[in-house]
Amino acid sequence: MGLIEEVFTIELPVGENFRIQRCRYTSPNTEAKKRISIVSGIHGDELEGQYVCFLLGEWLRNNPDKIKGTIDIYPAINSLGIDSITRSIPFYDVDLNRTFPGSKNDFLPAQIADGVVDVMRGSDFAIDIHSSNVFLREIPQVRIAKAQEASLVPLANLLNIDFVWVHDAVTVLESTFAHAMNTIGTKTLVVEMGVGMRLGHAYGHQLLKGILNLMAHEGIIESKPLDVRFPIQSHVGEVAYLNASCPGLFVPAIEHCQMITKGSVVGHIVNALSGEVMDEVIAPIGGILFTLRAYPIVYEGSLLGRIFGESE
Amino acid sequence: MRRFDIVTLESPNRAPLRIEGFIFGEENTKAPSVAIVGAMSGDHINQLYVASGLVEYLRIKEEEGKIVGKILVIPAVNAYALNMGEKNWPLDKTDINTMFPGYDQGETTQRIAGRLFETLKGYDYGIILEGRRDQGMCIPYVKLIQSGYEDIESVKDLGIGFVHYRAHEPVETVMLQYNWQLWETKAFSIVFGKNGSIDQGASDEVHMALVRFLSKRGMLDFSVFEGRMSNIIDPNRITILKASRAGIFISNVRCGAHVQKGEVIGKIIDALSGERREKLLSPCEGIVTCQYSHPLIFQNSIAFRIASVELNYVSKD
Repeated sequence: MGLIEEVFTIELPVGENFRIQRCRYTSPNTEAKKRISIVSGIHGDELEGQYVCFLLGEWLRNNPDKIKGTIDIYPAINSLGIDSITRSIPFYDVDLNRTFPGSKNDFLPAQIADGVVDVMRGSDFAIDIHSSNVFLREIPQVRIAKAQEASLVPLANLLNIDFVWVHDAVTVLESTFAHAMNTIGTKTLVVEMGVGMRLGHAYGHQLLKGILNLMAHEGIIESKPLDVRFPIQSHVGEVAYLNASCPGLFVPAIEHCQMITKGSVVGHIVNALSGEVMDEVIAPIGGILFTLRAYPIVYEGSLLGRIFGESE
Repeated sequence: MRRFDIVTLESPNRAPLRIEGFIFGEENTKAPSVAIVGAMSGDHINQLYVASGLVEYLRIKEEEGKIVGKILVIPAVNAYALNMGEKNWPLDKTDINTMFPGYDQGETTQRIAGRLFETLKGYDYGIILEGRRDQGMCIPYVKLIQSGYEDIESVKDLGIGFVHYRAHEPVETVMLQYNWQLWETKAFSIVFGKNGSIDQGASDEVHMALVRFLSKRGMLDFSVFEGRMSNIIDPNRITILKASRAGIFISNVRCGAHVQKGEVIGKIIDALSGERREKLLSPCEGIVTCQYSHPLIFQNSIAFRIASVELNYVSKD
């Protein structure tokens, strides 16, 4: 049985507290041991991580004798957002994952960010589970900023995910949880999978296996390494972005996570009023369609999909 | 005056988004140019009001032959959000002011920012009318962030009492001011008022500051009264007073008030029992530059910011 603790709390104006809870599983053995934080719900519209937290908690409850380190599970950082289907922090309408590392002397979202960093400080590892957002569906992947490639890719390869995407850090990423934690020495992986406001069973079980494998490797649980899939590495190919050329209703022609060839039709943008097909969306490269739009209303520029394929 | 579309973006179901600009004067080798950007968010009503008021003022001055330089005013960037009571881009909820310098092959708000930025490049001065990111209201102040390209002298011509001069935060590297500076425009922001409303006094002050700036920098052939001497304030001169309890927030003072150390400047009331939970005492002597603006306050929210000549008091944590 894990120990449920309230690790951060702020009074709300009318008879309630904002709180962040964790469930801590730890070994009775007091020898030096590693600590991992499993984090979800930084965005209020992403729920895949909650399922992974549940599955991991269930496994740990059933295998208490295998716990050799400290495992902290934080399913709901932006608890107000999760309970109101709001991606950002309600009241402030601010994306918490653009507020890190936060500050005690700033507005509530920054204080929450600061509290999150404080409570997780000292973790050896953190896994921050996202679902992209309500607009896009993603295959299980880990995204790593170029600067952290060397230390994080070997860890990501243990996670039983499909794709490791190392990309150039844009400056905005400096305001994320992962950047803040990596900066203070906690090796933090950002997982993206599924789609916002929905739950996929398969991805949850896939990532659970990966987390158990990573913990086995690091001696946090007593287990042999698991037989996990080795993810596609982004450095062996390129990522092509599909952005809408015009507004309309995007109707996919193929399913998510399909192999497609260069020149094949990914979908159409149609005009619901006139009945016209406004654009045919063509794959610029062949490869795997690892991102596909889930919310069909699009403007010019809306992301429709991403393909990972071989470099030309 | 020439009114034109800077950005036109078709919508699946709405009328197209139009970002309109108003140009006064012409390119002139003797006089500089300035671009003024109003509401980038849907809750920046003060900023919309000041920018549109400036358009009307400059229209009259142009008819009187008083415009010397080139002046561009863009009252509203995110008209879609303004028309819906939303803060951010209504579809994907992204903030256009975190998309600079923009990207013409990127997502919608990156494209909007990119097209807007193409128009804004090359101006000598860039002024952004900003609202606050938090639930606060403030007296007009200049926000000047340190990018290595900032110009602290030019902002003094506004005659605004406080210039908050500080290092940039990570998220500000994708905001307009920072990027505009990198492209060698002397850019700064004027932050004022309370989001979602019009503060007539603050709006009048900002309007006059803009006119003063245009006059002093030689873009407007029209003399105005001197403004205030600008105090350059770094973060160490701002004292923060936080609410140690949550509840109903009552302020006893207004932004701009001069307060004494120990003065009772507000209180927090238990929202259910009506009991006073906290008496808010000024920790120092100074000017209240900013205060919490919503009647319901969270624990640890910043109730007041007080600028003073002394180094800051350590607030309650």
